[in-house]
Amino acid sequence: MLFEKPTMNISLLSRHQNLVSLIAACLSLSISLSFGLGQLKDWQEISWLDILGEGSIALLSLFWLFFILISRPPGRVTTGLVLGLSCFMFSALLDLFDEFVHYQAAAAGLSLIESIPAGIGMLIMSYALWHWHQEQLALNRQLCRREANTREHGQIDFITQLYRADYMRGQIDMQLRTKDDSPFSIMMLDIDNFDRFNRQFGPQEGDRLLREISELILMNLRTTDLACRYAGDRFILLLPGTDLTLANELAQDIRQAISHLAFKPYEQASPIFHSMTIATEVARAGDAVDSIISRVNRRLDDSKQHA
Amino acid sequence: MTQQVTAFRPRYLSLEDKCLPAHQLAASLMDLAISRGANKERLLRGTKIFYQDIKSGRALLSPAQLLGLMANVQSQVASHDCSFLLGRRIFPSNYGHISNALLHSRDLKDALRLLQVFRLQICPFMHAYTYRDNQQLHLVFNDALGCAAQWQFITESYFTALVAGTRLLLDRRVPFHFDFPFARPRHIQEYEENLGYRLNFSQPLLRIRVDLPWLNAPFLQQSQSLKWHAIQQLKQNQSTRLGFIEAVRNHLRHHRQQTLQDTANAFGMSPATLKRKLKLYNIRFQQLQDELGMQQAIHLLQVKKLNNEDTAHLMDFSDVPNFRRAVKRWTGSTPSQLRL
Repeated sequence: MLFEKPTMNISLLSRHQNLVSLIAACLSLSISLSFGLGQLKDWQEISWLDILGEGSIALLSLFWLFFILISRPPGRVTTGLVLGLSCFMFSALLDLFDEFVHYQAAAAGLSLIESIPAGIGMLIMSYALWHWHQEQLALNRQLCRREANTREHGQIDFITQLYRADYMRGQIDMQLRTKDDSPFSIMMLDIDNFDRFNRQFGPQEGDRLLREISELILMNLRTTDLACRYAGDRFILLLPGTDLTLANELAQDIRQAISHLAFKPYEQASPIFHSMTIATEVARAGDAVDSIISRVNRRLDDSKQHA
Repeated sequence: MTQQVTAFRPRYLSLEDKCLPAHQLAASLMDLAISRGANKERLLRGTKIFYQDIKSGRALLSPAQLLGLMANVQSQVASHDCSFLLGRRIFPSNYGHISNALLHSRDLKDALRLLQVFRLQICPFMHAYTYRDNQQLHLVFNDALGCAAQWQFITESYFTALVAGTRLLLDRRVPFHFDFPFARPRHIQEYEENLGYRLNFSQPLLRIRVDLPWLNAPFLQQSQSLKWHAIQQLKQNQSTRLGFIEAVRNHLRHHRQQTLQDTANAFGMSPATLKRKLKLYNIRFQQLQDELGMQQAIHLLQVKKLNNEDTAHLMDFSDVPNFRRAVKRWTGSTPSQLRL
């Protein structure tokens, strides 16, 4: 699992050596072409307003290149995006530099063809963007059960990489607002004796257990369901189009899966087995987000007490 | 009326006093923030804490340094559960003899008494006044050191520690009732998960209520001899210093209508010095008086169910209309509304 720090992380940059050389080559080629073939203009001839406009285009495209490189792992889409944007930047640089130089007659063609790389670059980028779209659809499929129809990366829980309770509240609210009559259920799951486990093996192993259990819960869900971390060792599931009977069957599946999880703290060989207390509730007419959540919480606490 | 509180002048605990072992609260905070992706250097930025101090197990930190660390943790970690996770790590943990004394205490009543005496060892930021009615014990909490922006974080941590600790010692969850002076937070799920469902928000004071029978429910690990041993150890290196605000509050509690001038005299300083000292803790004299007046009025009206005349008399008000106006100003409700 990939752990992102909330700060800027430039560790991906070192994996793009070829693309970084390509950008450097564009920069040096444009500089040597312009200043090698042309002669510097007089100070008075230079239009600073043009330089400001064209310079900022060149600078911003360099800035975008940087963010592509630190955001994406290497691959076809990344290469396409960088290649296209580099061509665009090459044109922008030529455009910028010819504010500083006069060209001899022999090299006058340079200013005529300077916009051609930009056009080619745009075509390459469009192609890459289409592939990016395909890639995003594939990633969305990977994220199903972790994410519903909105994306808010600020609401992702660091430990389990599931969304937090706020996100679930929004999704339940959306379900309550939809007009269709199919029922939906909410499931709340709580790890038994998690406190004791934490005391015995330490909070780091506790965090790892949460992570493994969240994976296991996801594996037992249908693609339309959504799992979030509620609070502490409590998880919450949204099951669209599901009545109470079906929800209870799903709960039974998860309970069985958890009971077979042979979690091994540290590197010790003997496993610790776990169980979960699970409660389900179906949405009723006139429900609000808080009322359904508090109902399922109460049911969960009741069954904890009777256990 | 004016009198010297003590013959010698005690040195009060200030925000800058290095008195809290770095390997306790600070270490727990660092650990949990780092395990949630925070950056070590950024956590310590501006706090004048060195990571070496935390590892050494000998260094002492000031309350101000810890408050700075708490602020950094909250800005570095996006989720709202840090204070609650911290609370779960406070007890039982490496707080030395006070942890042992509490672990082997007889019951909740015994544990609360220990906490009152040796509070600085484990809970330096908040202190409580206890009241009692026929059914419940009321603990009214006050800021001992001037925690300002971190007050809610500290409240969440120590209340969680109380709930988790008593649950461990009783193997059952004590049904505490909580009253918070702030509005119902968005991360209510953390409150419910860690403190239970008996939560009231937007209340005039910060309070925990517990039904009296729970005070005497026997703790599972009680041991008179182990507890006494721990207490003996505690007494050897106990510093009984109070926070300055706490000292002024204790004094004002017994001299309700005292002026700034009288109070300054009682503490052997000029009114200007008293004002300046209070300002260091982000609090004004009038504010202290109002808070205490409010707490006392709520106790007399709500808990003791006294009528307006008796309450006004007990609180040294000259007449009932004056008293009614004061209560309205402190709590936003009239005395009769409070009594309901």
